[in-house]
Amino acid sequence: MSDMPDFSNVQSGSSSTANKVYEVKAGDSLSKIAKHEYGDASKWPQIFEANKDILKDPNKIYPGQKLKIPPLA
Amino acid sequence: MQSRIRHLVLVATVAALAACGKKEPPPPPPAPAPVAVPAPAPVPVGVTLSAVSLGKAVGADKKVSAATEVFAKGDTIHASIDTTGAGSATVVAKWSYTKDGKTAAVKEESATITPTGPATTEFHISKPDGWPTGDYKVEILVNGTSAATKSFKVQ
Repeated sequence: MSDMPDFSNVQSGSSSTANKVYEVKAGDSLSKIAKHEYGDASKWPQIFEANKDILKDPNKIYPGQKLKIPPLA
Repeated sequence: MQSRIRHLVLVATVAALAACGKKEPPPPPPAPAPVAVPAPAPVPVGVTLSAVSLGKAVGADKKVSAATEVFAKGDTIHASIDTTGAGSATVVAKWSYTKDGKTAAVKEESATITPTGPATTEFHISKPDGWPTGDYKVEILVNGTSAATKSFKVQ
């Protein structure tokens, strides 16, 4: 039995003044990515706007796509 | 003979008149004075870490509002990383806890950034049921290379 504390419920995140790059995983949606990156799922249009060169439909993203995550305006 | 002399005088006169009518070519313009062109600022190659600071909150600029290395059990802990240079870089924050010489991983978070100049990236961790008291550290890696380590305490 380890006497070390349990850190399995630690929550983490990151943000940057620079553009970030997010690689889409299976099961992701723009709102899920916005929740992870901004802490607010309703900010997904900001990610969609920044990626209009590769996204035509906000409901269609694919694993492996690399999305620009702009700094939160 | 006189006719030949007259002819020569005439030719000489015509040549002299022609020479008078011809304008001297303008002297070449003076060479422009050399203009001192400032050397372009060197663009750093790649992204390098310049500073790390810890705090309980960050502002819109992603910098900690009050740097500290001592936290309370309920705090969210932020690490603010300043970088210079442009390009693409993967920045990783590895948080760990040390007790009695043993180390446990707390969390690892990664961010791929594409700065065009100086940038600040923040990582944060929180624990809903509170942090165990003790000694912690965060190691920052840039593109897989350890770039900085900061120790802190929870008490």
